[in-house]
Formats: sequence, structure tokens, C-alpha cells
Amino acid sequence: MAASNNFYDLYRHGSLGVTLTDALDDLIGDERIDPQLAMKVLTQFDRVVAETLQEKVKARLTFKGSLDTYRFCDEVWTFLIRNVTFKMDNNSSTVVADKVKIVSCSAKRNDDK
Amino acid sequence: MSNQNVGAVYDIIIQEVINSVRVDFEETGTEEGVLDDLKKKWQIKLSQMNVATFPWDPKPELPPQQSTSAAASAAAAQAAATPVASYTQSTLSPQVSAQPISLPGHGLPHSNGLPIKQEAGLARTDPSVKQEPGLDGQAGQQNYALHPQQQQHLQNLQQQHQQRPGQVPQQLSPQQQQQQQYRQGLANAMQQQRMQAQGQHIAPQNGLPAAQHDGATAYEGILMQRDANGNPVELSRVEIDNMLHAQILARGKQMEGGGLMLPLKQATRNRGIASKRDADASHVSAHDGGDDELKDEDLDDDAINSDLDDPNDDKDDDDDEDDGGHMMLCMYDKVQRVKNKWKCTLKDGVLTVNGREYVFHKATGEYEW
Repeated sequence: MAASNNFYDLYRHGSLGVTLTDALDDLIGDERIDPQLAMKVLTQFDRVVAETLQEKVKARLTFKGSLDTYRFCDEVWTFLIRNVTFKMDNNSSTVVADKVKIVSCSAKRNDDK
Repeated sequence: MSNQNVGAVYDIIIQEVINSVRVDFEETGTEEGVLDDLKKKWQIKLSQMNVATFPWDPKPELPPQQSTSAAASAAAAQAAATPVASYTQSTLSPQVSAQPISLPGHGLPHSNGLPIKQEAGLARTDPSVKQEPGLDGQAGQQNYALHPQQQQHLQNLQQQHQQRPGQVPQQLSPQQQQQQQYRQGLANAMQQQRMQAQGQHIAPQNGLPAAQHDGATAYEGILMQRDANGNPVELSRVEIDNMLHAQILARGKQMEGGGLMLPLKQATRNRGIASKRDADASHVSAHDGGDDELKDEDLDDDAINSDLDDPNDDKDDDDDEDDGGHMMLCMYDKVQRVKNKWKCTLKDGVLTVNGREYVFHKATGEYEW
């Protein structure tokens, strides 16, 4: 599905994607745009998010925890990590979460195509 | 861990997406206004998720409101505290000073004009009077006032009084009692106040007592939310209002979608799906029987029927996603494992933790299985 435009639709599950989908749904519900146009918006979104994260974001993050579940399917890693401590390198404060799910697609596939 | 750049990054993304689909909108003949609407809706919905501060948010009235209410309650607490303080000074200190003043006041005329014997007589009656428990404060004070003027003999007496610890306190007791009572009252009042203050502190957490304070001690929030660092934070009244409003809107939409405002055909179609789902659910429960497995295979030719297909697994996955939305979406460069130690290099990610969102260019994670 994502192969048609080289970009993953992974980020649609983040808050930015969910809110965009919601907004598009509203407009479709009000019959102000067609679903096809909404799909185009979402594919643009996939591209823009990937590019922006690559180019505009410089922050580095480290995290530690205990791995509860791991899964590798269709080139997608899914980790469920418990008792995670996140640390940004720009300042020393940490963020703690008891459970975090990581969904990660291969970075290579993007570059190859 | 700050997420200040998230707002800016998201703003860039929104601008870029809107700009890049403008052509598509024009091609399909959609009005320009719709695109603006899309952008606005998107931004509003994103703001409602409250995952970061966004540049398009109106300079939030919420933090100042919170701070003013905090300042107001602090001022109220101070105002409540200062009267007590001034009360202590104005009422207590005269009482304390009254004693030393009254001693010379009574003493001078006596020592100058009146014969000592009379004094002595009076003084001698003192002990008997003093021992009476029913003394009022003034008598005690007078009696006590007499002592200093008595010479030799009376000084001895005074010394005796002082040496007899049981008496002096008794003699002073009415006043002391008054003072003590007053002090106790004060202490009680202060304790009550402190308790109230503590109550105020506790109230937002358990939510119930807050209803009792509807006066000047303004409570903005009774809902708690975890902030970026995982600490519980009160939501302000306005935030709660917003949440309620959003909920009600969502409900309304659900009702519309559920068939109230829909053409009959669509409504029944929805119901058809729902009933089909119900049927599925009942089918799933029947699956527990074990004898139905053949039927299962008949129904779904593609099913592998391994444990991985267990419908309960899906439920578990849902649970994972429901856990407060703690999620990281990213790309991986490398995932390595040595025995039970995992190391991975991730990039271009969005992380949502404790209701806050972070973006990163690169991330390294180490964890043990």
C-alpha cells in the first residue's frame, strides 16, 4: 500500500495523523470533499511527515527498559517495552513510562526506492 | 525532557501538507475555503489532544488564569492568616503586659501611704484566698500586686510563695488559664486553618471535598492529568469545559451516525454491520466449545487456525494500544540482539508518552528481554 508512494503510512497513527484523518472524515461527512481527495491528502501527509522528521528535527533520544514482547513481521518491528526511561540529549531530565509500544518500519526501504 | 520544538515541527508539517494538496483541491474543483477549513479543523483537533504547545494556539489564557487563581487563593490564605497574627499581637500582648504594669500601679500607693501592717494583714489573707479555687482573675491580680510592697516579712512571704510552686501557679491560674485557653484556641484555629489548607491540597486529588468550598477559595480543577514528567496535574475548569464540550460534540456525531439524521438506507446498513458483528461475537463464543472447529474451517478457507489466530490475541493487542497511548512510531536503522540484550538504532520518530509528544531524529534503545 505504501509502496505506491515510497512512504509509510505509519505516522497516520500518531496524533498528527489521527487528527488529520478526523478532520478529513468530518469534511467527507459533510460532503464537502470526496474520499479520493482525502486519500490524496493522506498520501501527501505520509511524505511530508517523513521528510520533515528527517530534515527539520535534530533531537536525539536514548531510552532503556525491559523488553516485554518483540515481533518482526513484514519488515516491521514491534516492541512492547516496560518500565522505560527516555532521555533527550538536549537536557538531562528524563521521562518515565511503564509501558511503551514501538512500531518501527525499515529505514532502508525508503532509501532504496 | 522538553518538547518545545514539537509545535514548530507540526506547524511546518501542516503548512506543507496544506500547500501540497492545494493543487489537488483545485483540480477536483473544491472551494478554497474547504482547504482552510481542513487546516483549521486539523489544528483545533490537534490542540484538543493537548500533546504539545502549538504556535497557532491563542496565547493560552489557561496558565495565567491558573496562576491568578493560585495567587488569589494564596492571597486569601494570607489574608486569613494575617488577622489571626494581628489578633495575637493586639489582644495577647496587652494581656501579657497588663501584669507587670498592674504591679507597680497597685504597689506605689500602698508603699507610700498605707501602713505596712494592714498590708501584712491583707497579705496574710492572701494565702487563704489564693488557695480558693474559685478566684477570678482580678482578685488574683490584686493579691499578687500586693506582694512586692511588703518588706522583709512580706518579701519572705513572697519568697515562700515563689518557693511553693503549687500556689503561685494556682494564683496565676485564672489569667494563665485564660491565656492558655486563648492560646489553645488560637492554636486550634491555626490548626484548623492548616487542616483546611491541607484539605485544599488533598481535595483536588479525591475530588469530593472540593464541592464544599464554593466561596473565595477558588478551585479551578478537580480532574487530574499526568504531565510530561508523569506528575499528576490539575486540569483547569476551562480545560475541563473544553473536554466536556468535545465529548458532547462527539456524542452528538455518534448519534447522527447511529441513524438519527441519516437516510434510512444508510442507517439500516449500519445496523446490518452491527448485527453482523454481534453474530461474529456469538460465533466466537461458540468457538470455545471445541466441536465447532470443522465449521470454522468451512467458513474461512484462508484461516490457518493456529494459535496466532486466536481472537483473544487481538484483544490483547488492543489492550496494548489502549495503555494511555504510549507509543513510538519511527524507522529503524539497526536492530541487534546478543542473547537477551537488544540494541536498536531508530530514527525519524514521534513518541507519545504521558500525553506529551516528542519528535526525534535519532534514538538508541537498549533493553533486556
